[in-house]
Amino acid sequence: MKKTFYIFSNGELHRKENTLCFEGDKGRQYIPVESVSEFLIFGEVTMNKKLLEFLSQQEILLHFFNYYGYYIGTFYPREHYNSGLIILKQAEHYLDDTKRIELARKFVEGAVANMLRVLKYYAARGIDLAPYIEELESISGKLKENSTIEQLMALEGLAREAYYETFNLIIEDPEFRLDKREKRPPTTRLNSLISFGNSLLYVALLSEIYKTHLDPRIGFLHSTNSRRFTLNLDVAEIFKPIIVDRTLFSLLNKRMLDSSHFVKELNGVYLNEKGRAIFVNEFENKLASTIKHDKLKRNVSYRYLMRMELFKLEKHLIGEENYEPFLARW
Amino acid sequence: MQDGRKMYVIMVYDIKVERVNKILRIARKYLTWIQNSVLEGEITDAKFERLKYELREAIDEAEDSVVFYLLRTTRYSSREIMGVQKGGEIRIL
Repeated sequence: MKKTFYIFSNGELHRKENTLCFEGDKGRQYIPVESVSEFLIFGEVTMNKKLLEFLSQQEILLHFFNYYGYYIGTFYPREHYNSGLIILKQAEHYLDDTKRIELARKFVEGAVANMLRVLKYYAARGIDLAPYIEELESISGKLKENSTIEQLMALEGLAREAYYETFNLIIEDPEFRLDKREKRPPTTRLNSLISFGNSLLYVALLSEIYKTHLDPRIGFLHSTNSRRFTLNLDVAEIFKPIIVDRTLFSLLNKRMLDSSHFVKELNGVYLNEKGRAIFVNEFENKLASTIKHDKLKRNVSYRYLMRMELFKLEKHLIGEENYEPFLARW
Repeated sequence: MQDGRKMYVIMVYDIKVERVNKILRIARKYLTWIQNSVLEGEITDAKFERLKYELREAIDEAEDSVVFYLLRTTRYSSREIMGVQKGGEIRIL
C-alpha cells in the first residue's frame, strides 16, 4: 500500500508543512508522506538532517545510487522492529554449519527451480532449450547431496552460467546479446540491465526486511562480513529469475529499450536517465502484479510474496516451521 | 488485508479563505494534489479516519465543507481530463 518513489532528477528533498516536498527543475512537487515507504535516489539530491529525522520518525528508507546506478547505501532508520531473539537465532543458524547449509541449500534450490520455471515457459513457446533444462535439472539433483557452502555456491554458479546462455535464445533483439556475464563494470547492454535489475531487487528486499524482525546483516548462503547486508542477497537468488529476468525479457521483446537508452562510459555501458525510468516503471509493474497464492487462497503481489518469504524464514529460525523457498508455478 | 483495508478517495473542499491553507496542508500529508480544492489517492481505513479527525479539528463546521468520494477500487472507473493537467501522482521524479 505504501509506495516506492524514485528520484532521477536533481533537486532538493525536504520536509515542508509536515509532509515531503521535492523541488527540482520541474518545480515543486508535494509527496504525501503517509503514502511513502521508501525513496530510491539516483539524481543529485540535497537534503538536511531535519528531513532525515522526519523520515526516521515515519520509518521511510532512503536508498542511494551513484551516477552509474550502483547501489551505494541506505539510510536505514533506527530499527523499529528490534528483536534480540531473532538476532540470536539468526546467529545460531549461521554459526552451526549443519543449520547454515540447510538454509543455504534452500536458497539455491529455490533459485535453480525458478530458473527452470522461466526456461520451461519459453520452451513451451517453441524455443529449443532442452539441453539447458537438462543441465539445470542435473544440477538441481546434485543440490540434495551433502555439501559445503563452497560446493553449493559453485553449483549455483554453474546453474547461472548455463541459464544466462539461454538469454541469447530468448531475447529476439540482436542488439542485446550476452556473451559473458560481466559485472564491474557491465560491458554490454544486457549485462548492464541484469546488474541494474539485480540491484533494484536487492534494495526492494532490504526494504521488506526492514518490515520484519530479521537483521539484514546476517545471511546464510552469502557469508556474513563486516561490510554489507547479505540476507537480502540470499533471498534475492530465489526471486531474480521470476522478477528481474522476466522484467527484462518483456522490456526487450516488446522493444521498449534501444540504443538511445544507454551511455558508454568508463569502459562500461550504463542505462541513462530515460532508460532507467523505463526499466523502473516495468519493474514496479512486475512487483505490483499479483498471483493467486495456493495457501492463502487469495491474490498477492510479488512484493508481498517477498515479505512472506521473510516471514517463513523467521518461522524457520524460531523453529516453528521449516523453510521452503517460493517456487513459481508458471 | 495486506496492509489494512484500503480504498481510493477523491476529496473536494470549499473552505473559508482564512482556513484554506490549513486544510490543504493537512490533506497533502495523505493525498495527492490534483488541482485547486481537489486531492485524491489510495488510503487505508485507519489513515482515512486520521485524516478526517485532523480536518474536523481544523474546519469550522458552520461555514466549511469537505466532500469525500470513496471508491472501493478504481477498476471500474476512468478519468478524463480537459485542458491543463495541473497535478497528480508522480512516483518517478
